[in-house]
Amino acid sequence: MKHFWALVFLMVPVFGVLTFVVAPYFNHWFPKDISEHGRVIDQLFMFILWLTGIIFIATEGALFYFAWKYDARANPEPVKFSHGSHTLEVVWTILPAVTLLFIAIYQMNAWADAKMRKPNIPVTAEITGRQFNWDVRYPGHDGELHTPDDIVRVDGDIHFPSGEEVLLIIKSADVLHSFFLPNLRMKQDVVPGMEQYMWFKARETGRFDIVCAELCGWGHYKMKGRATFQPRREFNAWLDEKLTEQQTRTIAATAE
Amino acid sequence: MILTGRIPRLVHFNLFVDSVMVEFRNYSVVQSFCRRLVAALAAAGLVGCGQSDPPAFRLDMPKVVANGIAPQHQRAIANILGAMFGTPDNPFALPETGLDQRKLATAAGPVWSDAEGGKHGLYRRHCAHCHGISGDGLGPTAAILNPYPRDYRSGVFKFKSTYTAGQPTDDDLRRILHDGIPSTAMPSFALLPPDEIAALIEYVKYLSMRGQMETALVNYVFDEGFEPEVPLDPAADPELKDIIMNDLMAGVMEGWGAAGEQVILPEDSAIPPDDRTPEQIAESAAKGRELFYGATKGNCVKCHGPTGLGDGQQDDYDNWNKANVQFIDDTKSLVGEVQDLKQNLSNLAGEEREAAELELKQKSQELADRRKLIAHMLTPRNAIPRNLRDGSYRGGRRPLDIFWRVSAGIAGTPMPASGPASEGAQGTLTQEEIWQIVDYVHSLPFERVNQPQRRPVNVETVN
Repeated sequence: MKHFWALVFLMVPVFGVLTFVVAPYFNHWFPKDISEHGRVIDQLFMFILWLTGIIFIATEGALFYFAWKYDARANPEPVKFSHGSHTLEVVWTILPAVTLLFIAIYQMNAWADAKMRKPNIPVTAEITGRQFNWDVRYPGHDGELHTPDDIVRVDGDIHFPSGEEVLLIIKSADVLHSFFLPNLRMKQDVVPGMEQYMWFKARETGRFDIVCAELCGWGHYKMKGRATFQPRREFNAWLDEKLTEQQTRTIAATAE
Repeated sequence: MILTGRIPRLVHFNLFVDSVMVEFRNYSVVQSFCRRLVAALAAAGLVGCGQSDPPAFRLDMPKVVANGIAPQHQRAIANILGAMFGTPDNPFALPETGLDQRKLATAAGPVWSDAEGGKHGLYRRHCAHCHGISGDGLGPTAAILNPYPRDYRSGVFKFKSTYTAGQPTDDDLRRILHDGIPSTAMPSFALLPPDEIAALIEYVKYLSMRGQMETALVNYVFDEGFEPEVPLDPAADPELKDIIMNDLMAGVMEGWGAAGEQVILPEDSAIPPDDRTPEQIAESAAKGRELFYGATKGNCVKCHGPTGLGDGQQDDYDNWNKANVQFIDDTKSLVGEVQDLKQNLSNLAGEEREAAELELKQKSQELADRRKLIAHMLTPRNAIPRNLRDGSYRGGRRPLDIFWRVSAGIAGTPMPASGPASEGAQGTLTQEEIWQIVDYVHSLPFERVNQPQRRPVNVETVN
């Protein structure tokens, strides 16, 4: 076939674009966003996706055009090499550099909101990743962590109040993990020996996934949890219930 | 059988790679590549990708070899177990086990999902890669874990509500599956629906009963001193069948059936009330501290250390590791025996020499068998006492859990029972005293690190 290679390389942009077009119909797109700040992050994503997508299609189109036009079988004349164009070199170096710089500056505020402007509020919970579970410690009535009235849960069922700012401490008991709340557009790598902070505000209630987003060992895939967002009143009631359960001394109390 | 399925594929793949590398220097790379790829795929299709033998239960070989069970008896034991319990793909529960066949079927077999989204092969989906197909704690990931995954086959479970020798109740196993075991690699399975958890509990009990039955059979063959020529066939020998079904089986089932009655009940009069003031709790914890350091009663300090950091004795083993240590030690002494036999051989002549040569041959064979097993054995590890200041509690953090731990000890480990060994028996500690220790243990993680420790009461008993 005459234009075999040109057509092969045309498949790259065709399948690349097709993947993004059909992905939402196969439920392979972003999960529902329930956070206050998630809109900004999604907008950033879409902006960069469109920007790079258009450039991608243009570049691949040019590649296809040249592969088609200068196919060896259609051009028996030997190629003449030139030493290139200085102006062109400068242009296609500066344009991407300016674009990248623009993206870097454009996203700074979103980054600072998510990672730098830690709210000055009491810690809601301390989350510890361990191979292969998310353990959580709530400060209890005294509002302080690591006191006898802490509520410690190891079943991966982590509750948060919705409709208000939540501040978490994220720790690791062993190796690198990453605490990922897809529905809140929040992800924080967990580094052994470091305390990381994470903060967000959920707009809705419901149960959503917690996953580990950093390969942490053979059981990484099963390091899942469930985040339950509920109104403050229900959240407090749940905490009280778990505190009572944690103080169980009789068998009667365990009978369901 | 497993190998025959793989060798042709591998050979073919090598030929394929070789030919591609040669063809690369020629011009018709693409054509050749396609042709070879089609040939390789066709070969793989013909041989089949999933046609290896179905997984089988493995015998506890160290135990079998240590008891000198002859190969034909090994096969007989495997056959008897197969008849009683089926295979990993088709588990079968005798009515005597009281197990639910439907639950077993859901938990066993290969991993698949039916049209309604029902999950099958739960054990292999969630458990087998650590706990092994046979429940021997020898799955592929076992060696990289600390602590090692539990071997169910001895029927000994660490974290339970029953007396030391008792079996766990379903609720105990359910609690472990729900919460996992903090500070180990056992994660929580709380996200699984209750019916899947119930199926897994049933299957763990099934594997445990099967393993206990295997031990009973091995011990029986060893105790009766069967000659290798004597067949072990319950189908042909009604007396043997009666012994297996009534004596051995009943011995295994007794503990499981009675698990519910073995639960240690805290006495109402001894349970501390919920509305205690911090002063009352501190007073109780202070009494618990006396017991913790007590030389005669309690004496937790011996293992958990004068600081409570688990820095007391460090060189003991739990039962599972102890068995491996014993096996390795016995093998070492067998090496000496074989050497002695070899040296003495030149001094002997005639019939004596023949007998010695036969013995040498047998012992060398046993030594070779043992060395093969040791090569695949988990390296024995010491049972390190828990760091009580860490604030993570493997068997649960509720006062009730700690109460059970102190009262019944941790079965299979050096942690002894301080309460009674069975209902109505006399323990070293009363329930009041155990609750005081519970209060002290709960206070340990919150003692300030920069606060100098008071001098332990009996510091001189620790080295």
